[in-house]
Amino acid sequence: MTDATLSAAGFEPVQVDRQMQQLTRPSLSYWQDAWRRLKANRRAFISLYIVIGLLLFTVAGPWVWTVDPSTQDLDQVSKAPGSDRRAFIAEPYQPWDGVRTAVPEGPASSAPPTNVKTVGTTTTQAVRLTWDPVAGVAGYRIYRNIYRPTAGGALGLPLGDALTPDQVSFEDRLDLEPMTYYYAVLTLDRFGQALSAPASLGVKVVRVITRAQAVERKLVASESDAKVGDTLQLALHPFGTDYLGRDLLARLMTGARVSLLIGIFAPLFYVLLGIAYGSAAGFMGGKADSVLMRFADFVVALPFLLFMILFKIAFGIGPGESGIFPMLVALVLLSWPSAARLVRGQILQIREEGYIGASRLLGARTGYLVMRHMIPNTMGVILVTLTFAIPSAIFTEAFLSFIGMGVAPPTPSWGSMCNEGIRTMLTTPHELIFPAVMISTTVLAFNLLGDGLRDAFDARMRSRE
Amino acid sequence: MSERDVVLEVEDLKVEFDTYGGIVHAVRGVSFQVRQGETLAIVGESGCGKSVTMQSIMGLIPMPPGRITSGTAMYRGQDLIRNKYLGGRDIRGSAIGMVFQDPMTSLNPTMTIGDQIAETLQVHRGFSKSQALARAVELIAMVRIPDAAKRASQYPFEFSGGMLQRSMIAMSLACEPSILIADEPTTALDVTIQAQILDLLMDLQKEKGMAIVLITHDLGVVARMADDVMVMYAGEIVESGTIDDVFYRGAHPYTMGLRAAMPSRELGARQRLTPIDGSPPDLFSPPSGCGYFARCPQAMRMCQAQHPYLMSVGTAHHSRCWLQHPDSTRQVPGLSIPHLGSVPVQS
Amino acid sequence: MLRYILKRLLHGLITVWFIATATFIAMHAVPGDPLSGEKAMTPEIRRNLEAKYGLDKPVVEQYRIFLVNMAQGDFGISYTQQNREVNDILREGFPVSATLGILAIVFAALGGVLLGALTATYRNRLPDVVIMFLVILGISVPSFVFAALGQLALVKINAWTGFTLFPVAGWGTVMHMVVPSLVLGLGTMAYLTRLMRSSMLEVTNTDYVRTARSKGLPPARIFLKHQLRNAILPVVTVLGPAIAAITTGGFVVELVFAIPGLGRYFVQAVQQLDYTVIMGTTVFYGAFLVLMVIIVDIVYGLIDPRVRLKA
Repeated sequence: MTDATLSAAGFEPVQVDRQMQQLTRPSLSYWQDAWRRLKANRRAFISLYIVIGLLLFTVAGPWVWTVDPSTQDLDQVSKAPGSDRRAFIAEPYQPWDGVRTAVPEGPASSAPPTNVKTVGTTTTQAVRLTWDPVAGVAGYRIYRNIYRPTAGGALGLPLGDALTPDQVSFEDRLDLEPMTYYYAVLTLDRFGQALSAPASLGVKVVRVITRAQAVERKLVASESDAKVGDTLQLALHPFGTDYLGRDLLARLMTGARVSLLIGIFAPLFYVLLGIAYGSAAGFMGGKADSVLMRFADFVVALPFLLFMILFKIAFGIGPGESGIFPMLVALVLLSWPSAARLVRGQILQIREEGYIGASRLLGARTGYLVMRHMIPNTMGVILVTLTFAIPSAIFTEAFLSFIGMGVAPPTPSWGSMCNEGIRTMLTTPHELIFPAVMISTTVLAFNLLGDGLRDAFDARMRSRE
Repeated sequence: MSERDVVLEVEDLKVEFDTYGGIVHAVRGVSFQVRQGETLAIVGESGCGKSVTMQSIMGLIPMPPGRITSGTAMYRGQDLIRNKYLGGRDIRGSAIGMVFQDPMTSLNPTMTIGDQIAETLQVHRGFSKSQALARAVELIAMVRIPDAAKRASQYPFEFSGGMLQRSMIAMSLACEPSILIADEPTTALDVTIQAQILDLLMDLQKEKGMAIVLITHDLGVVARMADDVMVMYAGEIVESGTIDDVFYRGAHPYTMGLRAAMPSRELGARQRLTPIDGSPPDLFSPPSGCGYFARCPQAMRMCQAQHPYLMSVGTAHHSRCWLQHPDSTRQVPGLSIPHLGSVPVQS
Repeated sequence: MLRYILKRLLHGLITVWFIATATFIAMHAVPGDPLSGEKAMTPEIRRNLEAKYGLDKPVVEQYRIFLVNMAQGDFGISYTQQNREVNDILREGFPVSATLGILAIVFAALGGVLLGALTATYRNRLPDVVIMFLVILGISVPSFVFAALGQLALVKINAWTGFTLFPVAGWGTVMHMVVPSLVLGLGTMAYLTRLMRSSMLEVTNTDYVRTARSKGLPPARIFLKHQLRNAILPVVTVLGPAIAAITTGGFVVELVFAIPGLGRYFVQAVQQLDYTVIMGTTVFYGAFLVLMVIIVDIVYGLIDPRVRLKA
């Protein structure tokens, strides 16, 4: 503070412009303020985008990815995404008579068969094996394993026995997949007991289809477009296939319809029912209120999941029905009390607020009070409840479908897909992982969105800022 | 003004808060002294920084978002801002007691009143639990709650507001502190209860000889209790002095505004109270000039740009206003406002 | 307090009656009757069976008998498991389910309170961020996925270490119980952690904690005596519903880990439409839940003097 500025002019009175006192921050309506807060909450906003994305995936997805969710692709069963789709064109399968040969004379030996080898190309149509005959044995037994055999280890799947010593060939046509198998051949005595150690052979099997199959699967337009020996790419399954060879992406989309249908409509209906019930109780008050709320207490006390199951049996699922509707009804019947309680509490609280009295004093009618004050002031809480009810409904559907009490097969839902996936969890985990990730992402997004909405509507936070 | 021992001396205290909207400069360089056995009243409207000032001295502002950016608070030669411990023991609760505004929420709802009072003694005086409880019963009786032994074993929800505030006072005085900070101790109470609490505080002060720092926005309470008064506005002291200085020889236009807004006996039934127009400045970005400029009826050209400093207007009487600058030719017009109390009434 | 408990018990009894009635109505609303699921039978056998199960009587009379028997603790005979009493099934399955459920709820409650308090104390710092991320995962992943992953992890760990500390499935020893109850409690623990965190943050900003600090109390004492006890209250109020959620969630865990609890019997009974078993399990289970909620409320009363003394 230098005295130079303290000139006599500085001490002249001024007329203060009262406009300067305008509040620097603009005033916002309740909804504008809530929206502004939601936008500021990055997590909630990303969740909002995820929810929109999920809805697109569910509604628009089946138009983009038009594969039928119930069609089986038997060439590709339980395939993880990104697995080899190549297939060679081959002639149709020709029967094979096998190989019989003279058995050398001699004493029975416990040596394994020698010179085990394949005949022709090894394809998914057939793998043909021959070996040299062994003297003095009663027959041979053939095993197939998917792991490299170890000494004393398991031999795998017993494929069959050749019960004469001169039968020195075997044709394997059992569910062949394009991968490496390990065959084991050993000799048998008269009683069918193993006589020798196994002789094993690793065989790489290639996938082949016939020209007719290629046309049937719409890989080529006509048989003349494909020659034997050509390489084709089989149908694309971006998310792989399930244990019946059905396209997982298509099933996830159809399953999303079931899960989100129940997840969104059940809460919507029961929150509406709860609003009607709760506001009726709140407005009537007194005896009616306590009777209504006592009934709600009873419904809350019912063991939820057991009654979900019970109600579903009671409604029954006819042949060919998906069971979505009974589940929806059961959910609504059992879940409304929490929303009813909440709304009643809100109504009772707001009814006592000063501004309701003030508005009434100014001559406002009940209808106006409800429209202008009650509903806008409860909407925030109801919206938040709805957002949190969605993930729990999705969980319930998944849980029921998982224990086999949900939607009836073949209708897919994320829960039933998890149930199917869990059986093959050890060998093909993608069948469990994809639906589980879908459920988790959806629930996560709705939970975070609910958190964001709650914070956005929270009046205490408003004053704290 | 008597020249008793200074027990607390605060120098240039500055406190900021980080909020969503930016940094709030809640306290902007406050200095004052508290003398033994005397009552200092800190007066100001909501948000002027009076509570934050005392809470930051007591180490009660949450950090973060709060931050003490400068200042010292010397208690018996020790800086409370840097060091909250005296002889290894926390000065809070033992050397300085504090009473809060809302007794209904300021006591732990799941602990008995007796336990809450005894706790202080156990921690600071090393009393055993039973010793401390016995002393707690005495303290409850001291603040004139009847049936003290029974009351000690009750919970806060079983008490009335006035009783709770008495219990708060008993709790804050348990270790016989030399300073009692009372943060709006009567604001949440009925008027009749207010008077009782104030009487109790004055009686206890006489008995124990402690200093009281009274934070309030109620000038009636100030007139009744205070020896010295400090008027705060927008995080600063705008006027300080003895009660007579501030009430009868008020030098700052804000003080004059407060006085004009307050009913008084002398004006009679036909008085008109004059409110202060507008609202305090946004402390997100404190104005470069005087904080009161926009509301001041005596505003001058320089007030907008130049930040006024505390100027002496009498013995230990200061005002933060350019009107008091020696170069100012203008007078503070507020002096014509009728005086309180013993000043003869002129009709 | 005693009056309060009696009142709650009476209310609980009425609730159990309501559950029983709702179960009865739901079962009788099922199309067909319990015997039509059986193989073709002569009308004579059918009449005998109807007489045996009391199905020849009018519905109201059946309801009366059902209530009277239930009041005496008799839920009847299983339809599909010849001559086996429902009580037998309950006696066999319930202790297993209850042990699993109680272990899970203890784990969830202790974990939730501890982690919640921890995250609130370290608000917005590393422990908070990490734990809250895991908590969000815990809330969003269905229990059966946890069960599957838990089992998968056990398989891998057992194969890798070469010996079985925690068996992959089954029941019997303490080691059998550890992983299933952890898996079962995980979701609830995540939920309780969130609740405890926000409750703790709210308590930290209350006037009475400020008072406690103004009294110069050591931080540990403020934490234990002033913050924790008050912050736990909202957690205790949701323990009742949490127990319900955990015990039904137990059904899946029992299925995945092959644990011989009530859940397996119930699912089996539903698949075979074994009505007496379904009804018995549901009512018994409902009564158990009602009792747990009452116990939780009483515990709440013990912690919160406002409830205890006003009741």
